[in-house]
Amino acid sequence: MATVKLTNVVKIYDNNVTAVHDFNLDIADKEFVVFVGPSGCGKSTTLRMIAGLEEISGGTVEIDGEVVNDLQPKDRHIAMVFQNYALYPHMTVYDNMAFPLRIKKMPEDEIYERVTHAAEILGITDYLMRKPRALSGGQRQRVAIGRAMVRDSKVFLMDEPLSNLDAKLRNQMRAEIILLRKRLDTTFIYVTHDQTEAMTLGDRIVIMKDGYIMQVGSPEEVFDRPGNLFVAEFIGAPKMNTIKAKLVRGDGEYHVAACGAVLKVGGEKGQMLRDMNVPTQDIILGVRPEHMVLAPEDDANAIDCTLEVNEMMGSEYHLHVVTDDGNKLIVRIPTITLTHDQRESLVPGVKLKVTCEGKVMHFFDTESEVNILYPCQAPIK
Amino acid sequence: MSKQSDYDPSVMKKHMGMQAKTRASNTVIYIVLIIISIIWLAPFVFIVLQSFRVENTHMVGYIVPQQWGFDNYVKLAQTDFFRWYANTFIAAVCTALLQTIIVLCMSYTLSRFRFKMRRGLMKFMLILGLFPGMLTMIILYRVLKDLGMTQANAVPGLILVYIASSGMGYYVSKGFFDTVPKTLDEAARVDGATRAQVLWKIILPMAKPIVIYTVLTAFMGPWGDFIFARYISMNASAGMNVAVGLYSWLTADQINQRFTMFCAGGVLVAIPVTILFMCLQKYYVEGVTGGAVKG
Amino acid sequence: MAKYSDLEYLRLSKGQRFSYKLGQFFSSILPGIGNLFKRLGRGIAGVFGKFLGGIADIGRTFKNGDAKTKASFLVMGFGSIARGQILRGILFLLFEIVFIFYMATAGVKWLAMLPSLGKVGPTKEYNAVLDTYVTTYHDNSFKILLYGVLTIFFIIAFIYTWRVNVRQNKISQEMLENGIRLRSGKDDLRSLVDESFYKTLLALPLTGILVFTVLPLVFMVLVAFTNYDGANDGYFSGLFHWVGLDNFNQVLSWGSGSTVYSATFGEVLTWTLIWAFFATFSNYFLGMFVAMMINKKGIRFKKGWRTILVLTIAIPQFISLLYVSKMFAKDGIVNGTLLSWGWIKEALPFWTDPTWARVTVILINIWIGIPYLMLIATGILMNIPADLYESAKIDGASGWKQFSKITLPYMLFITGPYLLTSFTGNMNNFNVIYLLTGGNPINAAASSAAGQVGHTDLLITWLFKITTGTDSKYYMASVVGILIFVILAIITLIVYNVLPSVKNEEDFQ
Repeated sequence: MATVKLTNVVKIYDNNVTAVHDFNLDIADKEFVVFVGPSGCGKSTTLRMIAGLEEISGGTVEIDGEVVNDLQPKDRHIAMVFQNYALYPHMTVYDNMAFPLRIKKMPEDEIYERVTHAAEILGITDYLMRKPRALSGGQRQRVAIGRAMVRDSKVFLMDEPLSNLDAKLRNQMRAEIILLRKRLDTTFIYVTHDQTEAMTLGDRIVIMKDGYIMQVGSPEEVFDRPGNLFVAEFIGAPKMNTIKAKLVRGDGEYHVAACGAVLKVGGEKGQMLRDMNVPTQDIILGVRPEHMVLAPEDDANAIDCTLEVNEMMGSEYHLHVVTDDGNKLIVRIPTITLTHDQRESLVPGVKLKVTCEGKVMHFFDTESEVNILYPCQAPIK
Repeated sequence: MSKQSDYDPSVMKKHMGMQAKTRASNTVIYIVLIIISIIWLAPFVFIVLQSFRVENTHMVGYIVPQQWGFDNYVKLAQTDFFRWYANTFIAAVCTALLQTIIVLCMSYTLSRFRFKMRRGLMKFMLILGLFPGMLTMIILYRVLKDLGMTQANAVPGLILVYIASSGMGYYVSKGFFDTVPKTLDEAARVDGATRAQVLWKIILPMAKPIVIYTVLTAFMGPWGDFIFARYISMNASAGMNVAVGLYSWLTADQINQRFTMFCAGGVLVAIPVTILFMCLQKYYVEGVTGGAVKG
Repeated sequence: MAKYSDLEYLRLSKGQRFSYKLGQFFSSILPGIGNLFKRLGRGIAGVFGKFLGGIADIGRTFKNGDAKTKASFLVMGFGSIARGQILRGILFLLFEIVFIFYMATAGVKWLAMLPSLGKVGPTKEYNAVLDTYVTTYHDNSFKILLYGVLTIFFIIAFIYTWRVNVRQNKISQEMLENGIRLRSGKDDLRSLVDESFYKTLLALPLTGILVFTVLPLVFMVLVAFTNYDGANDGYFSGLFHWVGLDNFNQVLSWGSGSTVYSATFGEVLTWTLIWAFFATFSNYFLGMFVAMMINKKGIRFKKGWRTILVLTIAIPQFISLLYVSKMFAKDGIVNGTLLSWGWIKEALPFWTDPTWARVTVILINIWIGIPYLMLIATGILMNIPADLYESAKIDGASGWKQFSKITLPYMLFITGPYLLTSFTGNMNNFNVIYLLTGGNPINAAASSAAGQVGHTDLLITWLFKITTGTDSKYYMASVVGILIFVILAIITLIVYNVLPSVKNEEDFQ
């Protein structure tokens, strides 16, 4: 249990590639923080610098108030779970889990207590005498977690622990990690490229790109108030629709001109624009697929488009439409809101009208791609 | 259509043709393989047969002895043969042990640590390897002679020469260590192990195949070494190894008295080495193929 | 030469493509070598720049240094001891003391004698008491050269250590100024099993390489510039001295020296290259062929066939080589059998006719080499993804097409570097030649002066003969050794820098 503090952390590799730029983050005690981003964004490198597996090129990492830059991994009191499990193939499950304790020269009785206890929690008691190669992927992952659990570590690091599992198992293990976190009650730093994992697990999410932090915030924050276009597109699936548009200030009201239609920006977003006195300007309009709706045929202010592909997902339809001026949009419509006739009519080539309310619109600056209403500090490019 | 073709004579014929063709080509391959086996095994069968030849000791143009017996083996005891044998065996055991340690140190380090001089060191050793090793023999002989480790006392000198530069032969085992995932090291270090503990407790127990390969090749080296053994023993029979000793029996003035004894000696040398090799064959094959694939 | 775009290239006919590729290959050789020199130049410039930077850094360290640092410029380790890093300091100091002591007692003396390699040789004087001539020995050129080289090594090591000592002071001083705790001796020792574990691991192997390979090689390279031989062994029979490039002139005939060596060198080198080529590629293709036969679907006793071949690896080479060599002798089994069957009228000249001998050596080498290649090829063949063949079969490829379009490119790609090492290894294949033929039959035209060189002698066996021959011309051995190195280095560099297959490493991964 400890705080983790990163101050101006930089990683420059030998070939002069900068993998992490000026990384600043305060992690509270018992917090669950997720680093998320596309591959090569520096998330794993940052985690490995915290673990002591990569040298820190600049800045400081503190664990529990102590600067650990020059400490070996073994002296940092951390536990870590690796993507490919990193189980010692020549040792049984029991020996694998006992390894960190034996290194610490703990009495065998206590080791037995701890290992069997952890095994019970993870449901791997039956496999204690097996070698890792005789286990399935999910079981191996449990052993890896168990090996990290048995120690009294200050920080629990997880580097894409679920990436090697199939989709079904991944969902199940995700739920188990939430339970585990409750039980362990320690500080977690979790790295993933999967935004669903990030959203469901994290107290706070750190979204990274090309070595920079794009945004730090709770799942609600990064979803509702993405600080820039990258975060907006990265969080949420299918990804947010973005359209080149124009924000027009009228008398006390704002409108967005996009794809040949003019949409009114009402509600709180309209109020915020007024409060900030935003001038008329070109913008990038962002609307999540689930926030778009089909408009009645006589709605003059809706966007005209043609259905290209219709994906029936069961609980909802994903409609891939192309607007008259060539923009491609995705619209998510819950199946239950459509009548049978409406469903039948959704065949490729059919003309549709789509629209959205003002409160679900996101406005990004065309140059900086920063959210106009919730500007973020982070550099973008 | 499928139903039809089952009974269609032309299709049937096509199938038969293919089977017959396979059978014919397989027969050819079997014949070739049998010939190859005979060619490869014949010299060893001959050498065994001739080692039992009693009627004369020189080279003859026939294979099967007219008179059989153990005379040649018995006569070996009256020569320095068993001294050479002991020399070689001692050198082989010491070399196997020490060379393995050195090679493993070197290859593990080059595989796992990233230190400043690493690339330079590897390039430097590559360049060193392009010099004929025999060149160093001239000076090493004189230095070893000053230290009293030549001629009759050649064995310690030989061992020193064999192991001293063995670090340069790190290639195959480095290739093996490169295939062991680095995350295992990292996991162990996070689990509290020092680098030394990582090597000792995690990597070495997993490296059994490559350890056996290294021991095996290091052990076999001295049995076949001719150049250094010849040079360092410098005509002193007491310091020779089997290769140099048996070679001396095939010189023009000795061959007529010693040829069948050479065969007997060769058989005695080959038997233990071959048995050991065949037992550990699996590891040797793994090492050889792995080494070549990694280049 | 015209460069085609990808789409243009695809429109070329087969012949055009081939000549285009060939042209590309040859036109890439020169720039490749140019690049090599450029890289070399950049490397040298880099080293020089680092050197200048180092000197500047030493100056800065002195200027900014406190008293402890400044004192360490003279008394190594002083700063470390004064700052509490006792262990490091003592080691530095100890090294300095040993160095000064050595230089004073011996080093300077050896260095001073190095240019002349000794002045007074052994002298014979009549001793009246013993009534015989007694030889007294004086200078020892061998030792002067050896210890001279050692002393230079030692001086370089000292300068390096001194530099480390200076940098150490700078770092420690800065760390203390920034309030960071210095590492104690205990920390240093502990790091030797942890983050600096590599130093511990490398200590023994590198010492061995330094003492038993680097030092002897430096010594032997220097010998090439002396007249060190049996008659001038530096002590017992007479001193040796520097002769400049005379020995190289003899071999390469730059000057007006004797042509015995240069003619012989050319002949031996040609045969060495021919031998290396045939030995490498005959084994390579036949080994692959045997492996494919054994691995073919439907062939039984795969393990048995393999074991028979592997057996021949197990038996120490000298036994099989010596025995096989005698099998092919004039009165050996082969000739004996053929004579008794009446196939030949008189013994075949396997070892007495130059051409027969060369061909026989290559054939027997196939016998030696195929098992290794069979093993290697088997390993690689089994790694070729089966679906490649399946898709080729569905595409209608015949057995030959499958081999030439899948198996062979895959093998060549994977074993490219192996082929190179195998080629260089064969150039230096002492055992096969020496144990089979001893280099014979004797090359009568060349043998008189340049050692008893024979028609099957490689450079390496020639080197051995020069060394162990009656005159023991060590300096010639050294010259030949250096030339072998140069040739191997050129081959290696060309292969690594020019061949496209080595460059495009990811194609098959």
